[in-house]
Amino acid sequence: MSPYLRALIYSLVIITLLLTITAWSIWFERKFSARMQSRVGPTFYGPFGLLQPVVDGLKLLQKEFLIPESADRALFVLAPPLTVILALGTAAVVPFGPDVMAADLDVGVLYILALGSLTTIPVWIAGWASNNKYSLLGGMRAVAQGISYEIPLALAALVPVILAGSMSLADIVNYQIQHGWFAFWPPGPGFFAFLFFLPASLAEANRIPFDIPEAESELIAGVTTEYTGMGFGLLYLAEYLHTLIVSAVASALFFGGWDGPFLPGLHWMVAKTLVLFAGIFAIRWSLVRFRSDQLMGICWRYLVPIGLGLVMVSAIWVQLAKAGAQ
Amino acid sequence: MEVEVASSAGSASREIPANQHPLSNCPTAKTRRGDPYLDIAAYDPEADLMVLNLGPQHPSTHGVFRLKLYLDGEMIVKAVPFCGYLHRGVEKLCEKLTYVQLVPIFDKNDYVSPMMNEQSLVMAFESLLGVEVPRRARYLRTLLAELQRIASHLLWFGAFAMDLGGALGGGSTLFMYCFRERELILDVFEELTGCRFHYNTHMIGGNRHDIPTGWAAKVHSAIDIIERRLIEYESYLTTNRIYLDRTRGVGVVDADLAMELGITGPILRAAGIDHDLRRDAPYHAYDELEVRVTTATAGDCEARTQIRLAEIRESIRLVRLMIDGIPEGPLGSRKPIKSNLAEKSDRGQAYAAVESPRGELGIYVMGGGANRGASPYRLKIRSPSLHALSCLPYVLPGHVVSDAVAILGSVDPIMGEVDR
Amino acid sequence: MMPYFVDTVRSLFVTMRNVLRKPTTVHFPMERRVRTERYRASFALLHDQAGEELCIGCKACERICPSEVITVDAEKRESSVTGKKRSYAKAFTLDQNACIYCELCVQVCPTDAIVMTRTAQEPAFHRQTLCLNMERLYDNERTQPLTWANASRLIEMQSPPAKEPAKAQDNEDAGKGQAP
Repeated sequence: MSPYLRALIYSLVIITLLLTITAWSIWFERKFSARMQSRVGPTFYGPFGLLQPVVDGLKLLQKEFLIPESADRALFVLAPPLTVILALGTAAVVPFGPDVMAADLDVGVLYILALGSLTTIPVWIAGWASNNKYSLLGGMRAVAQGISYEIPLALAALVPVILAGSMSLADIVNYQIQHGWFAFWPPGPGFFAFLFFLPASLAEANRIPFDIPEAESELIAGVTTEYTGMGFGLLYLAEYLHTLIVSAVASALFFGGWDGPFLPGLHWMVAKTLVLFAGIFAIRWSLVRFRSDQLMGICWRYLVPIGLGLVMVSAIWVQLAKAGAQ
Repeated sequence: MEVEVASSAGSASREIPANQHPLSNCPTAKTRRGDPYLDIAAYDPEADLMVLNLGPQHPSTHGVFRLKLYLDGEMIVKAVPFCGYLHRGVEKLCEKLTYVQLVPIFDKNDYVSPMMNEQSLVMAFESLLGVEVPRRARYLRTLLAELQRIASHLLWFGAFAMDLGGALGGGSTLFMYCFRERELILDVFEELTGCRFHYNTHMIGGNRHDIPTGWAAKVHSAIDIIERRLIEYESYLTTNRIYLDRTRGVGVVDADLAMELGITGPILRAAGIDHDLRRDAPYHAYDELEVRVTTATAGDCEARTQIRLAEIRESIRLVRLMIDGIPEGPLGSRKPIKSNLAEKSDRGQAYAAVESPRGELGIYVMGGGANRGASPYRLKIRSPSLHALSCLPYVLPGHVVSDAVAILGSVDPIMGEVDR
Repeated sequence: MMPYFVDTVRSLFVTMRNVLRKPTTVHFPMERRVRTERYRASFALLHDQAGEELCIGCKACERICPSEVITVDAEKRESSVTGKKRSYAKAFTLDQNACIYCELCVQVCPTDAIVMTRTAQEPAFHRQTLCLNMERLYDNERTQPLTWANASRLIEMQSPPAKEPAKAQDNEDAGKGQAP
């Protein structure tokens, strides 16, 4: 069939699946966090509370989308859908299986980094357009954090690119299938790159411990203070979606993507994504958050120099491997 | 950061002149970081100061409390606290209600540690009316006070973690853990008094509820569990790098500031001054117990946390000492309450203070009031949280908004007793 | 940089250990916690063994209440059980909207008429529902489990003994407490 039609169908299927998984990630988070906190979580709607996301969605839909009178109307309404669109756009190049992706770009990693950095902008727009000091503080912190953590994110994502020799995610996964997962081989740069990729992507996604933009105890709800109803729902959906995509990208870059015995590739990819996703939630519910200047300190004083070192080490490794092969 | 443990026979870690009460005004104050009377108009015409209300409705102001912050970017230039949102006119109510009726009302003062409120009130009345308390009641009161201290500090710890980490995040996990442990103590109180939180278990001359069978075993199991879980909390939070970054060096209240503002309790001890009413002005059965007081020198949020955790451990130790050895005897030296007008007094005055988890909670009462002397003429509550909050305009400038929340949490104000 | 990762893993250990523990919450309102014997939640007025109302309308509870939530109207009429004239409470209102559950009304009652119950009043849609009148108070006697404490028991617990043996005051043996 025509490549455009194929891309369209795959996009629609992936978007639907992602949104569904994101909706049920709300259920998962509530159950998981409840167990961590010695309580039970939702049990009322549906068996084990499985219909809770449906009920939550309906509840948010029927609430009024209040726009404050002195808010910048156009920007205020624009910000939530924009976050969702950008997050979903990132999912286009994630390889869910050997031939299961919406678009196999040969600059896949660059595309993901670009869209990931763009996701900072709607958060900033939301903070500014709300005409609320708390949101403004949250938005400014989001910008500072977002643009700073792009650099360690890029450096950490660069390590698999250098080791595999290509920016296309499908090529990276294929390379890992032949040579071993980057998190474990070559020993050193891949593992540490993953260790730095994780906090950097948490910072991009505004998750605890980097959730200064929506620090609930300090800034009421930070950037999302003035949003009600479905605007609020979209912003939170975008956050979960971004986290899901980030775990999918991390499992593709560092853990071999669809590589695994017995089961088809799609299952392995989903399993790895969900494991990382659960890990991110566990971190969220176990740590207190950073102060914004400490957050920036970690980025510029630790992550960036060590990230540069890692890129250098992986480049040296590639050269040594090439020299050894000759 | 050094933490010293001073025993009853130890010396103070800061020199206080022999004739000077630790709470007297200290004339030799050093310059502090913030000037609460800073003239904003003259501050800096270039700087565009933003006024942010950490307003009465806020997820982490420990009650209704408004903190008006003048921000230069994110740095606080001036902080103006406003309290009074929870003012209920308790002191006026005291002129109308009789001595007998006042005890249950006072639970709601410092609503997190009601035992202390009741005890300080009842002690003041007993001092005024010249009533002796039998030994069993004194021991029981001490025991209940120490249990209440554990419960209050556990609540504080959970709330502090929430301030640092947010209601949707790591802080709330610790909050749930602390409340789970606190339930054990509240169940113990429920066994004894019938109410989990506002007990009305004290009366003038003694206590109202006696120990049921099997209570000692329950207390033992509760504090055993709490002791084990404290170790978990320490590995979870107080040794965590992120937490240490947030609290080390933040919100330093030095000894001079504390003395000048009349701050008592863990904040004073974190600043280095060794003063604890249980040891220095013993009441109840504390003269028969050796209370070990912990002090620190740093005066920052981390020091205050360490001191409160050490106080939990000390209270656990004291409870273990007392629980199996409560002396037999009557529970009260006056006849039980049968009428509103049971206690009457002439003009006289009395002051009694207890060491509440927040500091010195004192009640000053003047007798000979309405109802032909059955009501006090005037009752003044010396609330430790009010003095603790007054350090905010001095301490906050120079910090950022995130620090403001952490400092407010570590100062542990309870608006019920700030506003009365 | 490494301490951050190490401490994260350590915190994760604590949380994961709690995942494996049994949850401590009770699935309210489908399940309720078992309350202790002395738990005080709501109120009930009692009849005595012969079926006679114990309340004599003396208004001691009304006078002592710190929140002034009790209103008693007294009357004198013939008892349906003994035939003798005695005082009764014609109307008895207890407003739980403002009650502070201090148990003082229970303690001062000369006839042990008012006691507290161990099950809490359910939340209500109207304020009137929380205002207990005589009919509902007598209903509570039949339908709700009662607390241990009534006036006589409290008085007995709190009274100094008539005779104080001189040795008991300095006794440091394990305190066993008076049995309820």
